[in-house]
Amino acid sequence: MPVLEINAISKSYGKIKALDAVSFSIPQGSVFGLLGPNGSGKTTLLSIVLDVLQADGGGYKWFGQPPSFLQRKKIGSLLETPNLYHYLTAVQSLRITQSISGRGNEDDIHAVLEKVNLHERKNSRFSTYSLGMKQRLAIAAALLGDPSVLVLDEPTNGLDPVGIAEIRDLIKALSDHGHTVIMASHLLDEVEKVCDHVAILKRGKLIASGTVESVLSAEDCIVLNAADQRFLKECINGYPGLIRLNGTAEGLECYFATGTSAAEQINRFCFEQGLVLSQIVVKKKRLEEKFFELTAE
Amino acid sequence: MISNIIKTEWLKLKHYKAFWLLIFVTAISYPGINGIAYYAFKDSIDAKSQSGQLVKMLLGNPFAFPQSFHTTAYLSSFFTFIPAIVVIMLVTNEYMFKTHRQNIIDGWKKNTFIWGKFISVVLVTMIVTIFYLAVASFVGVLATKEMSGVNVFEKAQYIGLFSLQVFCQLSIAFLLGLLIRKAFIAYGIYIFYSFILENILSGFFRLKSKKWGIDYGHYLPFEISDRLIPLPPSIGKFNAADNQLAIAAIKNHVVYTIVLTAFVWLLSFYIFKKRDL
Repeated sequence: MPVLEINAISKSYGKIKALDAVSFSIPQGSVFGLLGPNGSGKTTLLSIVLDVLQADGGGYKWFGQPPSFLQRKKIGSLLETPNLYHYLTAVQSLRITQSISGRGNEDDIHAVLEKVNLHERKNSRFSTYSLGMKQRLAIAAALLGDPSVLVLDEPTNGLDPVGIAEIRDLIKALSDHGHTVIMASHLLDEVEKVCDHVAILKRGKLIASGTVESVLSAEDCIVLNAADQRFLKECINGYPGLIRLNGTAEGLECYFATGTSAAEQINRFCFEQGLVLSQIVVKKKRLEEKFFELTAE
Repeated sequence: MISNIIKTEWLKLKHYKAFWLLIFVTAISYPGINGIAYYAFKDSIDAKSQSGQLVKMLLGNPFAFPQSFHTTAYLSSFFTFIPAIVVIMLVTNEYMFKTHRQNIIDGWKKNTFIWGKFISVVLVTMIVTIFYLAVASFVGVLATKEMSGVNVFEKAQYIGLFSLQVFCQLSIAFLLGLLIRKAFIAYGIYIFYSFILENILSGFFRLKSKKWGIDYGHYLPFEISDRLIPLPPSIGKFNAADNQLAIAAIKNHVVYTIVLTAFVWLLSFYIFKKRDL
């Protein structure tokens, strides 16, 4: 059973369509990355499934059940910015989270503050924290009581490189312990390092979703080089399964339908055409590259 | 459920210095206004002059028991705007810090959030009523020369009327804060409307009342509950007929105030439920 099923959710702000019939589901135990450029609808979508915004159409189910406040109590969430009382200390803030959600106890409050390296400043007021510290406290609030599902909207906002690496390790550790993490982020490198599933939004529309592998490998890419690049181009054009070619400084990028290319077969094919290849590189496409490709105007 | 809401709201308020500072300001404003009025009155009646004796003869002693409950309620009601600032601050802070969203995300229903604020407004009303009661009792003891034969609690209904008036006016302040979301704009509108605009409207309707046969000014949002505590009779005797009518209309205004307060809260629940956070 998926942790979250999103079914044709739409939301408009006046004439602007923030979400247009978005549907996908999030498997249990996955680390799910929600990607998209600014204004693509990521935060709007997360706000709807956390009952902060109301959808104009469509619906969603948490744990296979219609939405309810009881489900939200079981989900640790950080939405957009750290939303905590500025005049309270870290411990006092987490007591409010604990009181509302029912997650965790006094010992857990101290444990999560240690986990996010805020224990030394536990008695300082929220208003005295740096942006990164505020973000850590909001993450601590989400982690309180060890919820099985976490929704983290831009969790690395304001964090330094060490902090980003710590959050990455934290998410990996949560995943190893069977938690489901739903994460919206701009940092594609981070998403690629920690997520096993992604959904990509563009102007409120879902343009890709699935496992990271399946989203990335819609095409295979092999970079070829030969002494005569013009003959190489003519020759490879006749190879079955070729989708397109792209000449770069690295060599000739050849794109094939997934599973139709093999370096050995291509080498043999070229040799039979009388062409000796000087280089064959199987290129693994990166998420960032795919993201720009999918979201390009 | 209710105990959890009370606990959570208490956790929000317990360490909020601005809240306690404003409560302290309220605490000193009530004895302040009543003390000034009492000593001004006392000085005038203690004077051996003709005018002093005339005041004593005409007014009696509005600060003595049992009148002290009425007189201090009337004077204290001018300072409801201070706890109103507290209430506006409590709701606009949630918007400013976006904690109203976090409360929902963490598992509260939208209704629960408004119930939390309802409880906070009840708490502020109770604190304010305790201050009033303390001042009314203290002034009553000071001003009553002979306690024997005096029914101290003859006018104790003003305790209930005062707390109902405060609760109603704080509820309106809450609704303003919820609608406007920006603290200073909400304070400004509250002060401008309650002190200036409603008095202008009230005067306008009073002028028109002879022509229209009814004074609609009595049904303005603040006037509805202001009329729970009319001028004390000893002071109102200068316009005795109107004062008697105002006192006789208190029962009706209790009903109007309860209806208005209920409407304010129902509207608050509705707005918060329907609004995107």
